[in-house]
Amino acid sequence: MEEMLGPNEMIVHLGPQHPMQPGPFRLNLRLKGETVMDAEVELGFIHKGIEKILENKTYLQGITIVDRICYLVAMTNEECFVGCTEKLLGIEPPERAQYIRVILEELSRLQSHLLGMGEFGEFIGFVSMFMYTIKEREDVLTLIDMVTGARVTHSYLKFGGVRDDLPEGFKEKALPVLNNLKKVISDYEELFGSDRIYRERTVGVGVLTADVAKSLGVSGPALRATGVPFDIRKNEPYLVYKDLDFKVCTETAGDCFARVQVRLNEMRESIYILEQCLDRIPNGPLFPEGTPYGRRTPVMRVPAGEVFHRVEDPRGEMGMYMISDGSDKPYRVKVRGPYFPTLQALPPLIKGTTVADVAAISGSMDGCTSEADR
Amino acid sequence: MIDIPEFIVPLIPWIRGLVGLSLVGAIFLGAMGAVWIERKLSADIQFRYGPSRVGKFGLLQLVADAIKLFTKEDMRPRNADRLLFDNAPIFMMSSVFLMLVAIPVGAVFINGVEYPLAVTEMDISVLYIEAMSAITIFGIFMIAYGSNNKYSLLGAFRNFARMVGYEVPLGITVVSVGIMTGSLNIVEIASSQGLLWNIFLQPIGFIVFFIALMADMGRLPFDQNESEEELVAGWITEYTGMRFGLGFFAEYIHMILGSFLVALLFLGGWNVPAFVANNPVLGLIAPTGFFLLKTVLVLMTIIGMRWAVPRFRIDQVVDLSWKKLLPLSLLNLVWAVGLGLYLGA
Amino acid sequence: MDARTIIESLTGKFPEAISEAEVESPIRIRAYVDKEKAKEVCQYLKDSLQFDHLCSVCGVDYPQRNEQEAVYHIASYDHPVVLMLKARLPRDSPEIESIVPVYWNANWYERETYELFGIKFKNHPNLKPLVLPEEMLGEWPLRKDYEGFPNKTARNLV
Repeated sequence: MEEMLGPNEMIVHLGPQHPMQPGPFRLNLRLKGETVMDAEVELGFIHKGIEKILENKTYLQGITIVDRICYLVAMTNEECFVGCTEKLLGIEPPERAQYIRVILEELSRLQSHLLGMGEFGEFIGFVSMFMYTIKEREDVLTLIDMVTGARVTHSYLKFGGVRDDLPEGFKEKALPVLNNLKKVISDYEELFGSDRIYRERTVGVGVLTADVAKSLGVSGPALRATGVPFDIRKNEPYLVYKDLDFKVCTETAGDCFARVQVRLNEMRESIYILEQCLDRIPNGPLFPEGTPYGRRTPVMRVPAGEVFHRVEDPRGEMGMYMISDGSDKPYRVKVRGPYFPTLQALPPLIKGTTVADVAAISGSMDGCTSEADR
Repeated sequence: MIDIPEFIVPLIPWIRGLVGLSLVGAIFLGAMGAVWIERKLSADIQFRYGPSRVGKFGLLQLVADAIKLFTKEDMRPRNADRLLFDNAPIFMMSSVFLMLVAIPVGAVFINGVEYPLAVTEMDISVLYIEAMSAITIFGIFMIAYGSNNKYSLLGAFRNFARMVGYEVPLGITVVSVGIMTGSLNIVEIASSQGLLWNIFLQPIGFIVFFIALMADMGRLPFDQNESEEELVAGWITEYTGMRFGLGFFAEYIHMILGSFLVALLFLGGWNVPAFVANNPVLGLIAPTGFFLLKTVLVLMTIIGMRWAVPRFRIDQVVDLSWKKLLPLSLLNLVWAVGLGLYLGA
Repeated sequence: MDARTIIESLTGKFPEAISEAEVESPIRIRAYVDKEKAKEVCQYLKDSLQFDHLCSVCGVDYPQRNEQEAVYHIASYDHPVVLMLKARLPRDSPEIESIVPVYWNANWYERETYELFGIKFKNHPNLKPLVLPEEMLGEWPLRKDYEGFPNKTARNLV
């Protein structure tokens, strides 16, 4: 990027503060007219040093910190951390707690996809889309608030179970919201699919083929839009996903339109999973019997060992590698966020497109820079 | 003609000045009203309230905004070209006022005779109006080059491509209306429509004119030059305070004048049935009221379209103008010539 | 493609490079790999055993053993086995061959490991800091003996 510029070229920094970004990162573009000749991504504007912090906090304090890796989808971050620790401790939450965890994670997935679609609409100029999805997202956030007490960054999971039970009448309040969402998703699909200008902006833009996506290391809806059915809930089931009936949504085109379509279908599958869970949830204890782990976590020393646990984040595959040395603080926690490889794959994707397409492509990847920087 | 008493004759220049100033004030009030309509209408489309606290229904919100803009610090970037940077908003405002002098804002019927309310009446007023509306582009270029900012520069590139592409269908459509009527005087075009509006005679012309007008004014889906998400407010990134206010209001006044044009050229202007025109009381207020109603409807359509569709990419904009609008406007021209000969004969 | 066959194929092909191979569960394998042969092992994994998804590359600091470890987690899009390879490196000058030619997305992982631990990846296309500012290169913050607050903060360094 620092070599001499050609006759019509200039360097534009889509800098750390820009209305187009999901978080602060710097995108240096070398433009010739409106075409992008070269691109480079610089990170580090929101680096919080979470991995170092986690080494100095106990496991219980770590749950609150891991929430903030990506504050919008805090539930899956917590699930990853708590899942790792539970594997090291050798305990497993009882069935009711597992169902509650699945319910909350699917609700979290719904609100993340709604926000992602709204932001994508805003980046291509469709501001009304953002307002509509935010309005629907409020209902989902109210449901999550009812259970955990917070809209984002819940700190709700505990080792071996969950902090509180579902409140009274949760199912009666949740079912109307889900039915409304089903109708709203069909409306969005029709709105997107029939809008001529929207199709011109997204069909054929930012095309990924399956081989390129696999070699770039992309995962999540961006990979499923190219036709690869890679979903950790099916490949490596955790919690009660092996008992639930849902399908992996894929498309074949691999462009921005396909990615949004995958998200819409995933929202439908999430609603279906939620309905099954609300039907089948059994009564029972929230924490495993006969162990000291309960709502008040005891002073714990986790046995020594290493574990790598993966979960399906709304944005892709999230993993944590935890090493414990037998004390009450982790020895090393490595967080593998889903947006890190996607952001890395952005410069090759946007070479040769126009500036307007950069907004569309980076919006359709639906990222959160906070988890790329950690 | 109305009889003018003798003692008023030396005061006529003063009266003209007063009328001119009140027209300027009225058009600013109109721009404020247009911004209010935009904010309330867009809020309605998006399931939220618009401004509702300052004054009843938020009507005084614009006054509050204007006070805020007046009291901001006047900053300019260090390497900005002072001449261009300072004078560009004045340029933009002047161009819309130059447009304003030739557009009639209504008419009164006294004793059945029509007196259009226009500052001047020119024989080629339609061409004059369009030429003045093209001068706005100079203001935008001055801003873009004088701001020393790459985002503004990118916005200026896109502006150029858009304006060059859309002035041609706009001009051809306007001229075809003039050909059919037999005159380029906008007052004659408006009043000669009678009750058979031009939109029924030239529907293709109306559609082409409407699209080209929205592109000319820089409204979504054609607002690439100020697309917020890519270019951080595009050409007006570096402006604050009342300079920004002038540019902002210039855009809204341009929008109002564009709606006037649509109502005059295609929607029948101020024409009312004969019994209303001959009525002494209704003849004074009904034609102007009817005309303003049509203008407001067109304005609301233009505003509403902004929030209903996404934004084009710049190559799709240019593609639309040269490959689709230009042939349609030429077709419309041929149709208008034929219709004019038929109606004239 | 289950864990047993993978382990046997690996230890069969690289008997001296892979040591302490262990099958923890049907979907988790771990092994220590010799640091000279790490890239060849990765190439073999990608070509023959369908391991085409690099999950992460990270580093771990063991000051009491005077060692650092570079840990690779490699998974696959087709079968659910995750393989964890660890390479022991001396703490004074940790260097290992970069695997960017094998897995394209290792680029940023290796840059981050370099600036946080000091592990040098040889033949890396662009080894500069990723998440830390340029002035902090050389501090290796995630090592266990990093002073941190109050002497080394952003205020004193940057």
